Amino acid sequence: MIADLERCVGCQTCTAACRHTNATSPAVQWRKVLDIEAGSYPNVSRTFVPVGCQHCADPPCMHVCPSTATRQRADGIVTIDYDICIGCAYCDVACPYQARFKVDAPSFAYRDAELKSEIEREDPHRIGVAQKCTFCSDRIDFGLENGLTPGQDPRATPACVNACIADALHFGDLDDPDSTVSRLLREQSHFRMHEEIATDPGFYYLYGKTGQPDDDARRPAAAAADAGTLRTRGVEPWHQQHWDWKAAGNFVCGGAGTGLLLFVALASLRNGSSFPLAWLALAIVALGLFLVLLKIGRPLRAAFVLRQPQRSWMAREAWVAMVLFPLGAVAAWYDTSALLIAAAVVGLLFLYSQAMILREAKGIPAWRISLVVPLIVTTGIAEGAGLLLAATALLPTLAPVANETALVVAILAALRAWTWRTYLLGLRIEGAPVRAIVVLERFRPWVFALGLALPLALIVLGFVVDGVRPALFALAGLGVCAAGGALKFILVTRAGFNQGFALAHTPVRGSGVPGPAVKPGWSIT
Amino acid sequence: MNATHPMPGNTRAERSVSTYCYQCVAGPDLLKVRIQDGIATEVAPNFDAADVHPAGGKACVKAFGLVQKLYNPHRILHPMKRTNPRKGRGEDPGFVAISWDEALDLVAGKLNAARAEGLIDASGYPRLAASFGGGGTPTAYMGTLPAFLAAWGPVDMSFGSGQGVKCYHSEHLYGELWHRAFTVSPDTPLCDYLVSFGANVEASGGVCGVKRHADARKRGMKRVQIEPHLSVTGACSAEWIPIKPKTDAAFLFAMIHVVLHEHERTRLDLPFLKHHTSSPYLIGPKGFFLRDPDTRKPLMFDLTTQRAVPYDTAGIDPALEGVFHVDGIEVGADQEFAAHFNFAATPAFGRLVEHVQGYSPEWAAPICDVAAATIRRIANEFLDHARVGDTIEIEGETLPLRPVAISLGKTVNNGWGGYECCWARTLLACLVGALEVPGGTLGTTVRLNRPADNRWSSVKPGPDGFMDYPMNPTGRDDWISRPPARSAHRTLVPLAANSPWSQALGPTHLAWMMQKDDFAHLPAASPPDVWLVYRTNPAISFWDTKAVSDAMAKFPFTVCFAYTHDETNHVADVLLPDCTDLEGLQLLRIGGTKYVEQFWDHQGFSLRDPVGPPQGEAKDFTWISTELARRTGLLEQYNAAINRGAAGVRLSGPNYDFSLDPSVPHDVETIWDAACRAANAELTDGAESQGLAYFREYGLRVKPFPRLQWYLYPKLVGAGLRFEQPYQERLFRIGKELERRLHEQGIHWWDRQLEEYEPLPHWRDLAGLWEGALERHFDVRIDDFPFWLVTARSMQYSWGGNVGIQLIHEVAGNVAGHGNVVMNRGAADKLGIADGDLVEVRSPLNQTKGRVMLCEGIRPDTLLMIGQFDHWATPYAKDFHAPSMNALMPMMLELTDATGSSADLVKVKISKLESAP
Repeated sequence: MIADLERCVGCQTCTAACRHTNATSPAVQWRKVLDIEAGSYPNVSRTFVPVGCQHCADPPCMHVCPSTATRQRADGIVTIDYDICIGCAYCDVACPYQARFKVDAPSFAYRDAELKSEIEREDPHRIGVAQKCTFCSDRIDFGLENGLTPGQDPRATPACVNACIADALHFGDLDDPDSTVSRLLREQSHFRMHEEIATDPGFYYLYGKTGQPDDDARRPAAAAADAGTLRTRGVEPWHQQHWDWKAAGNFVCGGAGTGLLLFVALASLRNGSSFPLAWLALAIVALGLFLVLLKIGRPLRAAFVLRQPQRSWMAREAWVAMVLFPLGAVAAWYDTSALLIAAAVVGLLFLYSQAMILREAKGIPAWRISLVVPLIVTTGIAEGAGLLLAATALLPTLAPVANETALVVAILAALRAWTWRTYLLGLRIEGAPVRAIVVLERFRPWVFALGLALPLALIVLGFVVDGVRPALFALAGLGVCAAGGALKFILVTRAGFNQGFALAHTPVRGSGVPGPAVKPGWSIT
Repeated sequence: MNATHPMPGNTRAERSVSTYCYQCVAGPDLLKVRIQDGIATEVAPNFDAADVHPAGGKACVKAFGLVQKLYNPHRILHPMKRTNPRKGRGEDPGFVAISWDEALDLVAGKLNAARAEGLIDASGYPRLAASFGGGGTPTAYMGTLPAFLAAWGPVDMSFGSGQGVKCYHSEHLYGELWHRAFTVSPDTPLCDYLVSFGANVEASGGVCGVKRHADARKRGMKRVQIEPHLSVTGACSAEWIPIKPKTDAAFLFAMIHVVLHEHERTRLDLPFLKHHTSSPYLIGPKGFFLRDPDTRKPLMFDLTTQRAVPYDTAGIDPALEGVFHVDGIEVGADQEFAAHFNFAATPAFGRLVEHVQGYSPEWAAPICDVAAATIRRIANEFLDHARVGDTIEIEGETLPLRPVAISLGKTVNNGWGGYECCWARTLLACLVGALEVPGGTLGTTVRLNRPADNRWSSVKPGPDGFMDYPMNPTGRDDWISRPPARSAHRTLVPLAANSPWSQALGPTHLAWMMQKDDFAHLPAASPPDVWLVYRTNPAISFWDTKAVSDAMAKFPFTVCFAYTHDETNHVADVLLPDCTDLEGLQLLRIGGTKYVEQFWDHQGFSLRDPVGPPQGEAKDFTWISTELARRTGLLEQYNAAINRGAAGVRLSGPNYDFSLDPSVPHDVETIWDAACRAANAELTDGAESQGLAYFREYGLRVKPFPRLQWYLYPKLVGAGLRFEQPYQERLFRIGKELERRLHEQGIHWWDRQLEEYEPLPHWRDLAGLWEGALERHFDVRIDDFPFWLVTARSMQYSWGGNVGIQLIHEVAGNVAGHGNVVMNRGAADKLGIADGDLVEVRSPLNQTKGRVMLCEGIRPDTLLMIGQFDHWATPYAKDFHAPSMNALMPMMLELTDATGSSADLVKVKISKLESAP
């Protein structure tokens, strides 16, 4: 697909045509045109940018899909099988182009009054699952079956391309050097959006004649400072919509639960018993997964989450859970250190899977950074240690390990603080949505205060003041755990800003030279 | 039956129907509607028309709202009558459903009663009035209603619903005078350089405009957009120049100055000026052409023979500049003669050169708030791109190629200053020979001259070597002192002419204003006995909408063809649900040259074929019209009007006759079958005569339209006529005569408008004019209203009557500014206003509220509200809470120009009501 930015006038005819042809629900726009302003008065540009699924050659949505619902056809079109999709929305946060939608209940143009045309085209298969542009693959297939050329014959061409009144949209076979799209790319300067994310998108933007110099003289003021205040709504990164507190709960519980299991196992080496805490650890992990079950669009298909461990860390997490729970249960039942250690190792794999789930969410800059992995793993372990420390105050049999647990908690809290700091630094270096950074920076001192300074103070005080030591240790442990939970909750539900949209160049309009890049709402543009 | 094509993606019982969308003046767009299991589900382009339609059979975004329009749950689906006799915004109409029989009897009863008293009331105004929506688009949907109106007799169509203030009013009138250009367009397919003063073609040019300008950009056409805010058209232009509102005339005058005072004359198209304009005509001491005493023909000075000769003398080389001592006479107002001997006369061109001497870029710069160097550069680029001397072959004929044009947008080409801008634009084209030639500035339709379907055949020889123009008379004996319509267009506006379109082009706000206060020395105001309303909502779409709403609430009997409840039909006595766009049957003439960028290489007809039976009890407009004719005893005249072509095609020709029996009513399909037969016969010179079934199968039929006819130049040259530029002697004389007539009748309230009749327009401080008028009228300090509030068209909404369509609202939301008060960020910062804040925008007349959208693409002294909203009755739209400027603009004579229009802007102040959520 090619969008010629010199031609596009932002009329939204493609948007409306797509809504018709694909019978999408109100506000579900598989194809739409952005209206992007850049610069400052009076040197201002305004560019209309068709967006939608970019049908990446290396599609992160497909890689993360646990159920195999998202697939890639031989011709490169990325498809969704509505009958397999579990509606986990992992693909939504993995897509750097904000191209995916999930509708959880039927919705109509005029609220309760379902129009005859809506009744006629209603498709219950789409409820609760991911949906997106298919390049009108049914039209392409129809065309190919009937000897028509996609991109040439309207019946074999995506509806948006057919509808485009400015001839700004083009579709065809890039492998065919004689196709219109191949010719256009040869003759005109072009870019792909977010090329730095390396998904090899199949959507090209024309912005001028080949060999034209760019217009650095009119480079607009950095848009970053204006994020959220200027006319960039819907263009600069906005917060992901689908992973809410329930999704965050899985990360909170998964980290604390597997961390606890680790320290219960370690404690059992010393005490020879897990006490009832192994059961608690497993219950916490299970609670997290249960929350996820409540969140997904198609809970009855939850088992489909296991279908794609080859690629998806969410599927891997599920498979690990499938081992973790029986093994953990057996270990807890027989209460042997060896089994507990084995279960704890599996638990660590679970924790690592969770970290990798965030890491592979390519659509969320604050998650996809590699430093998120040590952060999630470290905090999970620290939270587990904190929980065990809290338990030492409640369970007399654990009293003998209280002091060393407190020391471990102190060390882990410090380690976590270091990974947190490193993570934030990395985010700044790599660049991130300004608003995500604002959220995280606002939260930063609290992590240090509640997750490090206060627990350390309490632990030190506990060592000094003998009489209230268990209580102080318990508070310290809970503090470390709570700070970790809050950190993940904030990360998922408050700092989960998506990639937004950006232009490598603003286009020529008839005369002149292309303008500079536009990337509103980013710390680094 | 309906055209069927294999369509991918569905196996259900399905078919597709060809139809058209004419929801805006840039139509018709040709389209196909997919029907599954009898339900219309999808709109798509009509690729069967790809080779004949200038935009390849594409349909604009508005067409995609038609499916929801059809099934909208808010539709009125039964005839209804009012039960509450009190009318007004605060009154519940108490509409109750009635049968069609009862509804039509009710309407026919009122019509018959009015007719019985006489078609004209005591004041001389028609008892029946009708208001239709923008740009004549309703005629594409009203079936045979024009035949009913023709059968009826005089109908007052002067209650405006947007005309003047919301249209290209000055352009319509002056454009038709100068080059048969009711609307003006660049010859986009060939143009290389376009200066666009606020012409928002990407929003209002329809699919043809958008396609052609996109193609032109790819070709390298440079478009410079000069406007206070960065519209979608500005966005797609090579350059945006943020000019101060309503100062465009100064910019244009300065361009003329640069061309005439800073360049060699050889840069101009001198042969064009000498032989195809009135530039060489000598001007006498009283400002009229100096004429040959014998023939009364204007004189020119022949450089070859060194003597003055009549303009049509063959083989001469007329002087454009210099002072020449000649004898001659002047013919002034009321044929007053003045003889002059050895008068030192200057040609019109020389007068022009003197006239613009002071209008330098340095003079214009502070007025426009645009650097003098920028103005000079634009003028120079215009000249550099003009390619004076180049030619191109069009259909075997060699024509000048002048790929430069200037286009004007709303608020530039209407209201005060509209004359200056239209004149300057047309003159600049003349200076380089770029008027009505390939690449240059073209007219695309005629509405005031006859015949209206062809610009060439409307060219008839008139006085002084110019085209004729059907001016309303201003002579002592023939001036129409008693207006035949409430806008008084024939009395006050000679240029408004007297075509079927003229009433709606007069000062239509006068019709509303006089409902409140009589105008001195005009007949007393009277409301119409019966007012018909179709596809328009003047309670929202006009200026000073409160005054308009108050006036219509006093009308005794209002009949609204109603789609949903709205702000105008809130005061109706009867609501009649007609078939919507996809339900009705009609044959429409397409192609040739029409509005905006609609110039085709084909002409013919397209069918609006219903997608299925109407919803509820909605009825086809042709059925309603026939019933009204039958019940008012006008059936014979009605059928005769159809036979004459009132429904778009004459039913008989030299070798065919499909006329209907005038004495009996005909059903809808019979009428349109006859129309289809006549259309086929017309297109084939009688060789074929297929009926409705043909158009149902193929959707449309066309024959070639010669591209040569896009250009008026060859027709004028062939007829030996000249463009009436630069000197407006005819208007000058008419203005003098009109002044006398009005004063003889004691009318002095139109004096300010008479000032516009200048042979060469002077710059007027238009901002000061506005500000002074508001200060005097409202007793305010204008400094308290520091912002200009302007508006812009929206491709999604304009003219569409589609404000209640969810899909349109949804996709319009992707285009920045819809539903907001758009404001410059720096200006907002100074007032402590942030993005999303709720603000009040107040003019001296009224206020509106809305949320602010901050942006950089607007002048700091300007606010923008896109489209027209403020709905309080229309379902769905009433929940938008979108601001609208229409209630803020006072209807005032002081703000009315000589053509009877005002510009779409007002001075306002802004204050914050609450912070963004």
